[in-house]
Amino acid sequence: MKVSDVMVYDISAVFEDDSIERVVDIMSKQYLSGVPVVDEEMRVVGFITENDIMKASIPSYFALLQSASFLPDTNQFVRNISQIKDDKISKYMSKPPIVIMEDEPLIHAADLMIRHNIKTIPVVDKENRLIGVITKIDILKAALKEGLE
Amino acid sequence: MKVITVTFNPALDRQIVLNNFQVDRFHRVPSYDNMELSPGGKGINVSLALAKFGVPSVAMGFLGGYMGRILLDELRKKSKAVSTNFVFIRGETRENIEIIDPANKTITEINSPGPEIEEEDINHLMRRFTMTLSRVETVVISGSIPINAPDDLYPTFVKEALKRGKTVFVETTNKNLTALYKSGVMATVVKPDLRAGNYLLGKDLKTLEDFVEAGKKLLSVGAKLVVLSYHVDSDVIITEDGVWMISPTVDIDYSHLLGTGDTYTAAMVYKYINGERDLVEIGKFGYIAALAKTKKLRKELPTLQEVEEYNDKYEIKKVG
Repeated sequence: MKVSDVMVYDISAVFEDDSIERVVDIMSKQYLSGVPVVDEEMRVVGFITENDIMKASIPSYFALLQSASFLPDTNQFVRNISQIKDDKISKYMSKPPIVIMEDEPLIHAADLMIRHNIKTIPVVDKENRLIGVITKIDILKAALKEGLE
Repeated sequence: MKVITVTFNPALDRQIVLNNFQVDRFHRVPSYDNMELSPGGKGINVSLALAKFGVPSVAMGFLGGYMGRILLDELRKKSKAVSTNFVFIRGETRENIEIIDPANKTITEINSPGPEIEEEDINHLMRRFTMTLSRVETVVISGSIPINAPDDLYPTFVKEALKRGKTVFVETTNKNLTALYKSGVMATVVKPDLRAGNYLLGKDLKTLEDFVEAGKKLLSVGAKLVVLSYHVDSDVIITEDGVWMISPTVDIDYSHLLGTGDTYTAAMVYKYINGERDLVEIGKFGYIAALAKTKKLRKELPTLQEVEEYNDKYEIKKVG
């Protein structure tokens, strides 16, 4: 099986200069956990996820803690996200993005997702222009149905 | 990818097939085979018809809420030849109801107004539209607009596409064609949507002369080809070279007319992107495809092979 057998031909994307607030709004309306970032020629230049935004909003010392359970409230998190809500997403997106082409084997997409711990990969053409996306759940459904090879 | 279709006000179409449908009566639908939920809105229908002809396209527009997500899922299930690029809005995508009565050969359509949109949504769609324009040669903008949309919605999008050298096909209501006419911008190919009544650019269309006059007004602001539905089963084709009347030589079942307009537009686009530049031939092919669609009851779309079967089932006369 190839990526093209399973991918969704959706080219909804956001732009590098879109704000965090706008991208969160788009992701929440479409139930997306992440969305490709494109330039004006529709070339994929990054990928932004809810995780990227979450990480940017929590205090940096959190990474050093075993647990955040003893912290009394979410004030700092709320304050941080308010401070970055107008920032351009280019500041927080993953770049260069992990992309795949539609004629590649599906197992390659699965491998990339496991190695990079990502749920969605933008599918691009030879000019790196967005033609769709492939998600972990699409691969799992296809694997259960027909097998990966 | 050669085509973008834009649907400003998509709908989930609920089609119900009911023999002897009557208003003010209780009806029970005999089985689920008599009901179908499908993605709709004129641009989306054109994308699906193009897919049936083997032409990939990008469907764009506004979707919202639960209905919007169902529509998107259903659209993806229908064809991989339709790429999607919709802007999600706060409101809920509408649902349209179509009651098809084969016994009495009628269709009753109830179209909802649809959600409101915000200026930010329009700007977002325009940005995505402009970006996608670089990848296509033809644009189809069809159907109604959301209730609170500005009057210049059609002119703004048509103008942008024309500015970038694209050929633009439009099938829409009098309201949007009037806005285009007043703005002095007009699509290349125009098919007025006269389902709500024969009224166009401030005038009732009664005689053939009225239809021709309205068509020529559209030509005067830039249209190259105008196709007007005339007495349901005929069409008037108007170009700078003259006026033609095209009619069927076979009987048409009026309960099978659902989706004929969208098939007509898709077929004209198909002919155009395959190199045809004779405008009357483009109009003729649209008509033949629409005739082929009438063989099917619901919104089922004809294949190219089915269209060819109707190649000798019409007559065309130059009338002006």
